[in-house]
This record gives sequence, structure tokens and C-alpha cells, in this order.
Amino acid sequence: MDCAVALNPLAADMPGSQEPLLEVRDFSLRRGKAVVLDGVNLALQPGETLGLIGESGAGKSTLALALIGLLRPPEVQLEGSMRFRGTELTQLREADYRRLRGNKIGLIFQDATAALNPCFTVGEQIAEPLKRHLGLSKWNRREQATALMHSVGIPEPRLRLDAYPHELSGGMQQRVMIAIALACNPELLLADEPTSALDVTIQAQIMELILDRVRALNSSAVFVLHDLALGAQVCDRIAVMYAGQIVEEGPSERVLASPLHPYTRGLKSCVVELGSRTLEPIPGQVPPLNAMPAGCRFAPRCPKAKAICGEQRPLAETRDGRQVACWFID
Amino acid sequence: MSDALNITATPDSQWKRRFMQPLLRQRSAMVGLAIIALYVVAAVFAPWLATHDPTAQDLMASLQGPSAAHWLGTDSYGQDLYSRLLYGAQLALIIGFASVALGLVAGVAIGLTAGLMGGRTEWVLMRIVDGLLAFPELILAMAFMAVLGLGTENVVYALALSFVGPFARMTRGDVLQVKNQPYIEAAQLMGVSTAAIIWRHVLPNVVSPILVQAGMRVSIAILLESGLSFLGIGVVPPTPDWGLMISEGRGFITMAPWISGVPGVALAILLVALNLLGDGLRDAFDPTTQKDA
Amino acid sequence: MFQAASAKLAQTLLVLLFVSAASFAFLKLAPGDPVGIMLGSDYSKASYDQLTHELGLDRPVVFQYGNWLADFVRGDWGTSYITSQNIFELAVLQALPVTLTLAALSLLIALVIGIPTGVLAALYRNSWVDVLATTLAIGGNAFPSFYLGILLIWLFGVDLGWFPVLGFVAPWEDFWQGLWHLTLPAVTLGAWYVGLIARITRSSLLEVLGQPYILAARARGEPAWRVVWVHGMRNVLMPLVTVIGLQLGGMLRGAVMTEVVFALPGLGMMVTTAVLNREYIVVQAGIMLTGLLFVAVNLAVDQTYQFLDPRLRRR
Repeated sequence: MDCAVALNPLAADMPGSQEPLLEVRDFSLRRGKAVVLDGVNLALQPGETLGLIGESGAGKSTLALALIGLLRPPEVQLEGSMRFRGTELTQLREADYRRLRGNKIGLIFQDATAALNPCFTVGEQIAEPLKRHLGLSKWNRREQATALMHSVGIPEPRLRLDAYPHELSGGMQQRVMIAIALACNPELLLADEPTSALDVTIQAQIMELILDRVRALNSSAVFVLHDLALGAQVCDRIAVMYAGQIVEEGPSERVLASPLHPYTRGLKSCVVELGSRTLEPIPGQVPPLNAMPAGCRFAPRCPKAKAICGEQRPLAETRDGRQVACWFID
Repeated sequence: MSDALNITATPDSQWKRRFMQPLLRQRSAMVGLAIIALYVVAAVFAPWLATHDPTAQDLMASLQGPSAAHWLGTDSYGQDLYSRLLYGAQLALIIGFASVALGLVAGVAIGLTAGLMGGRTEWVLMRIVDGLLAFPELILAMAFMAVLGLGTENVVYALALSFVGPFARMTRGDVLQVKNQPYIEAAQLMGVSTAAIIWRHVLPNVVSPILVQAGMRVSIAILLESGLSFLGIGVVPPTPDWGLMISEGRGFITMAPWISGVPGVALAILLVALNLLGDGLRDAFDPTTQKDA
Repeated sequence: MFQAASAKLAQTLLVLLFVSAASFAFLKLAPGDPVGIMLGSDYSKASYDQLTHELGLDRPVVFQYGNWLADFVRGDWGTSYITSQNIFELAVLQALPVTLTLAALSLLIALVIGIPTGVLAALYRNSWVDVLATTLAIGGNAFPSFYLGILLIWLFGVDLGWFPVLGFVAPWEDFWQGLWHLTLPAVTLGAWYVGLIARITRSSLLEVLGQPYILAARARGEPAWRVVWVHGMRNVLMPLVTVIGLQLGGMLRGAVMTEVVFALPGLGMMVTTAVLNREYIVVQAGIMLTGLLFVAVNLAVDQTYQFLDPRLRRR
């Protein structure tokens, strides 16, 4: 029993079409007067992975939540368009959106300990989307949940089915989160800093696991990360966010190797590399939400800023497959 | 309904709500305070504001409704309800505060001793407190009244005894917490005398939450006091006590509803006002409840 | 877990011991001379001494206490001077069920009304629904229950005549009659509890709904009603039960008042009448029984914590 979403009849399933799985155009999100996301443009092909990189407060998590439909009017105001498989998400009815969540679009939370309900067993929580979206019987749900737990590398899954979240380690909990997000074989997986809350030693494992599962399902994924290098390593494309705007976007090796936007360059030089002697932080701070500068939001901290930067927001210039939002690219 | 649920979706929500709710709380607490102030004024100036002697009987004028002579009517003995109301406020507030104060002092003393001395003293004292706390307050108060006999003074003692338990337990808990703080140890190492440590470090930190509790307890004290009097186990007639008045008015509920009605409304309003103030105080002192915005 | 349980049991027994000692001390402190009362007006010193010896009142206090305790545990609680009724029968077989029935019904009413009210107030917080609900809750909690009882009697019993105003009919003898007679008292006692439950539900739910696991449930596609009532409320149960347990004293206070106002022959009525009649032996039985009840319920509430919050279970 698959979900019955109102799909665009011209959607990507037509053979040979290059219709993106996810297409975000001029998408803005406002909370009251504050413009949290400003004119975001993204496209994601089926099977592609995108890394959303930026520092805290850049709006990456907000974008992820908006994509899965957990930020909607009247709490916030949305402008622009988000299309998933051709369906306009901003206009979607809540009931229809619900059929997508946990089903065709999955979300992995950063803090697995907090994202698991302490009063229910992990088996019950994994089985929830199985029941809601796939309508599996109780026995089937247990079997499927066991299989899912096995696929995310949880040892002795049958025993663990009836365990409560607090009885598992942080790494196990995150694996459970992954299992829940992947339960209905989503076409789009959103992962919000999936390894930030884990020990360094497990981070690589979990990252590998997610990538492996995503590839196995042929799904697309959006990874929200704050680490540029990790993003480049793990994703096909990278989009760098600053203060609610996408400042640079493109294939990850190219963006990492030769960043064009001053902010991306700054991010790269913030990281300590082998052989480098100095750490070069980006001066200044992200402006508060209610005091965003007109024009380019990065201008106050940009070494290249000129007058025009404070007046007009730079348009995204496309250059060999990349987009950069800056007046002074060289 | 979905719009209300959306609040959970925003990563840092509650910015607008944070403004509205504390205002609401503050306002209601202020309203409570204003009402209580009114009662205090009535109580303090009762002798001047009253029109009659509250215990003066005038059987000829009994069971009358509000009139020029008796502003709020009379009861079955012809006593003036308005005057009895005012003196009733006086009595309620006095008993309320006195019993709480007494219970506070005794309870804090026991809690301090238990917490500071530790060892066997603490064990014995706390078991006694446990025993006290094992009974519901009203039952305890009733038992004490049975032993002590009726009357206003005894009501104060009985209630005070019932309050010793909660205060003692609270104080001891706070003392234990404070005792283990680094600054106590620092003071000890510096050679400050034990008495000075208690006076200057332990007491101030223990006293403020206790005082907030005490404030909230006054409403319970007044409720218990009027309850006991209502049952006939509190003050003795003809003392002007709201509980007593309500009880006396029961039999006349159809023909003279004001006899129970007037003191009842007065009591209800005072208790609500005390509760509002107590809530406000509690929220003001407890930063975690700010989350409820 | 076994260790924790036995430690708890030992502690409870100790408290029970103190409860009994306090009850015994109460009787000893009570004014009046039991021997003199029993003998009546005219008696000689010899008969006084003889009765004193028979009753064991010339033995050391500790001994008397032991005797009394033994009697108590055996169910021999003495006989009422006034009604010549066996006190154990009176207290446990007649009065206790009445009080328990009243309490249970009131709690039920309070939960049925209070929880949805609290939920609504939380979901529509700061709206007029919330303000109204919170105001009613504070009002209900603060309003003196005996006065509320009188008002209800006046309005619904006398004026409108919808409900009987006095007397108790046991629901196990005549269900509907019993329920009908208990309606006004249960509403009176329930009013106090409703306020409490509504407020706790509201504040707990607000806190719970802000938790990441609620967002995670929504991210799985769970509908709003389920997120609130299954995922949310499940976590509210714990603070709710805690508060209900903590406020048992208030509940009993309300029960005493309600019983007297509506003339229900429960424990509250029994103790009140006994105090007024200076029948200390009955008062003592009442104290002991309420103390026991209190301790038992607190223990029961403690046990439910483990059941409600999996994090407290020790595996």
C-alpha cells in the first residue's frame, strides 16, 4: 500500500527525463520580520547527494525542516517554490504532506538521544512509519524492523527490538534514527548533522553507514554539515550557506579545490591543514536575524567588499556548473 | 489545531510567546496582590469600618436582608454580617499568618538542626518528621484540636503543628544542599566559626525558598482554619469567623442565603487572590518555569 | 530491584510504626479519664483500681503501646461508647468504602474533565481558551470545597431539584441511585482536583511538546492528534501522577469537608463526629486508618513511577 500523493503527471519517472527530484527556486522563509532563508536555489537529481555547509545559525537546519514540511504557515511565511518530484510542496495540503514525511522524505536528527521518545521501545518507534505508511501487520512490522536494525548494523536486532532508547549507547541510538528514517525506502533523505553528537571514533562509521544505505536504495540525500571538507568528501555537490543565503554551489571537488566565493575561501582557510602554519579565522560574526544587512549579507566581513555589495544582493552567476553569489569573482 | 502544533517545529520558537505569558502571569499576580491588600486594609481598620459590634445579638432583627441599618443583613442571632465580615477578615489573616509563622520557625529550627548536626540526631528528627508527614494535614489538625480543645488560640497551635512537618523537611533538604557547596568548605578552611557560617552562609540561602513556600502556605492555613471552624472543631461561637458563619448559614440557605453567601464569597476571593500571588511568586523565583511561555 | 523494594518496604514499615506510635500518643494525650468515663458517676477507689488493672493502664506506657498495637493488628479496635458499635466495623467496613468510593469517583471526574482541558489550554496557549481554562483551574483549586458544596446543594439540589442533597446510597447495592446521590459530592471534590490536573497537564504538555522527539514523530508522518495524545501525553503521565500523589493530603481534606456537607458516612464524617463527641478512641482509629491509607497510597504511587517511566526501571 503505497502512499497516494498528488503527483505532477509530468514528473521525473518518464524515461530519459532530467527532471530533478528536488527543485528549490527563490525560496524564502520569514518569521515575522526576520528573513531566515533568503532566495535559496537548489536542485537535486535522483541518486545525488548534496552537502549543505555553513556555520551555526546559517539556516541549514531551517531549510531541512522546511523541506520536510515542519515549518509552515502560520508560524512562518513561505515564498517561492519547492518542488519534490514535480509536486509543489509549499502549496501541499497538510494531509498530503504527512504522507510524504517518513515515507518518501526521511529526516535524521542530530541528537538521537533527544529525538527518541523515552517511553517507547526502539522497535515500536521504528515500526511506526511501517504501520502508518505501509500498513504492515504487527508480525510483519516486527520482522521488517528487525531487518532494518540489522541493515544499520545493530547487533542482535531481535533482542534490541524491545529495548528502550536509554538502554542503548549514543551510536546505537543514531543507528536507530537512521533505521526509522529509511524505514519506508525514502527517495529523499535529509540528515541534519547526523554525526555531530557522536564520539569521533564512531562518526566515520555512521557516515559510511548512511552513505551505504542511501546508495543501496538509490535515494538522494541532503547532508547538513558544518564541515566543508567532510561535505566534499561525502557528497556529490556542495552548497555553502551563509546567513540564510546560498553563496556558492557546485560539484564538491571543484568547490573545495577552488572556492570562488570569499566566504567559502574563508571556510577553507579556517581548517587546519597539514603543512599550514596559521589558522585564519573569518573576522566578525553572523549578523542577528533582525539586523540583516541589505545587499550581500556577507559584505560586512568580506575582504573584497565594495560599495555595491552593501546595496544590491549579488545574483547567482553560473560558471562551469557552479553558482556563485558575488559581484567580484575572479 | 495544527497551527498550535507548529510551535514545536521551530528550532528557537517562543520568542513572541515569551513576552505575552509572563505579562499575563504578572498581571494576575498583581491583581491577587491588590485584592489581598484590600483585605488587609479591611482587617486592620475593622474596628473603624465596622458598623456594629460583631458579636452583639439582636434577635428582633435576625435573618434580615441587606438594609440601611445592616449593610449586608443579619444572621439568625441578629448579628450584623458586614461587621462580622470585617472582623472575620481580621481573624482569618491573623490565624493564617500566625500559624504559618509559628510552623515556619519550629520547622526551620528542626530542619536546620537535623541538617547541620547529621548523624543520629538527624535520623531521629527526620523520622519524627516523617511520622508527622504521614498524615494528611487536616486530620493532623483535627487530632490536635481534639487534644487541645477548641478556640482561636488552639487553632493557631494546631495548624502550626501541622505545618512543622513540611517546613522541616524542606529546610533540611536545602541545608543538605547548601552544606555541600564549595563556599562552605572554603569558609571552614579559612577558619570562620561555625556559628558565623550558619548565620551568614547557610541561613540566607535556605530562607528564601522557604519564605516563598510559607507565603503559599498562608492560603492553605486560611482554608484549613475556616474548614475546621465550619466543622465545628475550630473557633468557638460567637467569634466572627467565616467558616463558622458559613456553617451557621447552612440551615437558612433558602430563606436567607446571604448568611452563608457573604462570608463564602469573601473567603473564596481571598483564597483565589492568595493563590494567584503564590503562583506569581513561585514563577518569579523559579527561572525554569519561564519556559512555560 | 529487589534490594530497592525491600529497602522501601522497611522504610514504609518504620513510618507505619511512627504512625501507630503517634496515634497511640494521641489517645494518651487526650483529655478525659477513660476509666472514670467507663465507670460512670459513682465508683469506689477499689473498683477504679480494679478496672485500671484490667485495662492494663497501670503498666508502663511502652507496654500499653505494645498491647494496643497487638490489638490493633488483630482488628480489635474497641467499641464505641456512644453507639456501642465495633469500631473496626464502623471504620473499615462502613466508613472506609464510602470515602474510597467518593474519592475514586471524584478523581475520575477530575481526570475526564481536567486532562482535556489542560491539553486544550496547552495547544491553544495564550488564546482565550487558555486564559479561560487557566482561570477556571485556579478558581477551582482555590475555592473552598465546603462552600462549593453548599452552593451546589442550593442550586442543583434545592432550587432545581435535580440531585439529592444528602445521604449515601452504596453503588454496589443500587448502582444508579448510588451514583445519583454521589454526583454532587463527587463534583464538589472533583472541582478541587480538576484545577490541579488541568494546570499540570498544561504545563507538562507544553514542556513535552517542545522536545525533539515530538518533532521526530511528526517527521515520521504521524498526525497531529497522535503526536499530542500518544507521544506527548505518555510523557505527561509521570508528572501528573506525581502531583496527584503529592496532593493526596489536599484531596483528603476536601473529602472530609465534602462528607460533612453532604452527610456521607465516610471516614471524614466519622472522625469529625468523634471529635465533636469527644470520643477519642474513634478519633484514634480514624487517625490511624487515614495514616495507613496515606502511606499505602504513597507507596502505590511510587511503584507506578517505575511503570510509567522506563528510564526508572532497573534491568
